[in-house]
Amino acid sequence: MDAISVNNLRKTYDNKKYAVDDISFNVKSGEIYGLLGKNGAGKSTTIKILSTLIKKTSGNVKILGLDINNSMDIRKRIGVVQQDLSFDLTSVERNFKIYGLLWNVKKELLKSRMEELMEIFDLNKVRKNNIMDLSGGQKKRVQVAREFLHDMDLLFLDEPTVGMDPIVRRKLLDYIKMRAKNGLTVLFTTHIMEEADYLCDRIGIINSGKMIIEGNSGYLKENFGGYKTLKLDLNGDIDDLTKNELISMNVNLKNENNKLLITAKNIDNIIPEIIKTVEKHGYNIIKLNMDQSSLEDVFFEVVN
Amino acid sequence: MKLPDSLRLTIRNFKVNSDPGTIMFMLGLPTLYLLVLGFMYQSLIPAVTFNNINVSYTDFLMPGIMAMEVMTAGTVGGSMLWSDRRFFMFEQLLVGPFNRLSYLFGLILVSLIFSIIGNAIMLVIFYLFVGKLIFTTVGLIYSILTLFIGTIIFTSIYLIISIKTKKMQTYNTITIVLFFVVDFTSSAFYPITDKTPYGLRLISYANPLTYITNITRNTLVFSSLSGVLSEFLVLTIATVIVFGVALKLYDGVKPGM
Repeated sequence: MDAISVNNLRKTYDNKKYAVDDISFNVKSGEIYGLLGKNGAGKSTTIKILSTLIKKTSGNVKILGLDINNSMDIRKRIGVVQQDLSFDLTSVERNFKIYGLLWNVKKELLKSRMEELMEIFDLNKVRKNNIMDLSGGQKKRVQVAREFLHDMDLLFLDEPTVGMDPIVRRKLLDYIKMRAKNGLTVLFTTHIMEEADYLCDRIGIINSGKMIIEGNSGYLKENFGGYKTLKLDLNGDIDDLTKNELISMNVNLKNENNKLLITAKNIDNIIPEIIKTVEKHGYNIIKLNMDQSSLEDVFFEVVN
Repeated sequence: MKLPDSLRLTIRNFKVNSDPGTIMFMLGLPTLYLLVLGFMYQSLIPAVTFNNINVSYTDFLMPGIMAMEVMTAGTVGGSMLWSDRRFFMFEQLLVGPFNRLSYLFGLILVSLIFSIIGNAIMLVIFYLFVGKLIFTTVGLIYSILTLFIGTIIFTSIYLIISIKTKKMQTYNTITIVLFFVVDFTSSAFYPITDKTPYGLRLISYANPLTYITNITRNTLVFSSLSGVLSEFLVLTIATVIVFGVALKLYDGVKPGM
């Protein structure tokens, strides 16, 4: 069953330009879906619509099988970590307790969850501190941790790791993975591509309000990865003749200290030809490896 | 047991506002006015006469202080909306299990609670220092209703300011100036009589605090219902209008500042 089903979603704030322009995608139950895009691409607007904070202009949206107009029924079953820091002006511990009260979490359960989250998000040292005395990263940790106090079927995370150090960030990503294994569906936005690669089952990249590509990380890298680099360790630097023959294959070359770096867009298809050419000119290949394209390469390729 | 949405929001608002700063503002200032002004001016003004009844200046001042508590309680709701919009809790709550109406009720209810507690404490302080309270059943009912309606009108006024101002400095300046203007142009500290300059009299009668003070003073101190009903009606109509404006503006509040 789809936890999120979006068809031809559009949103305009001024009746002129679409912040979200005819987007369609779906997220299955228990799936972690990453929404990537530049600043202003339409990620946060999409999340705001899906979490019932703002109204769509047109299109069909179903959340947990419910039409988006059933906002109250949806809100009771979702969690949202917004991009903007949100908190009550009181201590960390009180923020947790108040949030638990708002979500009607039973006292004992709230206490045990609070202790667990304080530990996971490394907040024990600052739990008595006023939220205003915390650093940006600590505030973000409070905001994210607080959301896990209540039960939910679907969680929206809009750039949740901003300002977090790598250790806490990894802890958070692992915690999200664990929760997803237990059935939680997650819609996640980030600017850090490695995060999306590490966490997301599927990824959608949006630009200027439009969905450009969608699929799992491997598929995106395979099909939209752009340039890849082949590294060859040889028994000598190549001569001009070999160089010219290789360049005629539409590749970029860099040759230094017996190492040959060959960069091309669809390099997988011409690897046998490259090897043949190099060996034909009397060079021995000592070592061969290829840099895989990263999700960042995909992002640059499709967004630019 | 699941508490209703508005009640959970009210408890949250109460907990967030139960900080020393708010409590000082709610109780410290009115207590200071009551004890310092009340006793100091008593040497200048031995008695105030109304409807042929003489009362001490402290007795006269007490209902004014109660009315002030109502106004101060109104700031709690308004400031809460301001702070929730500034620190994005407004949006956070609206993607949680709440709708806009329950959020609004939460603001009004917390102002009412602060008003009730503030007035109860003021009455205790008054009783401890002055040693008397005058109650009639009708007077008490009028006073309670007036304090209730008064809290709603001031909460509405502060909600309007909170919605219409974009900068924190502007909000703080307006609320502080308004606080003193409303205080000192009302009948809280002195009677508004024929001897009061015409312009000031006009301002005073356009000031809801005057009506709240007059009704509370007449019913609790002078045990008189003369003119109370008409003042009560004026206050009620004004409250309905101001609350309507606040509701309309609140309906247009979009998430994000």
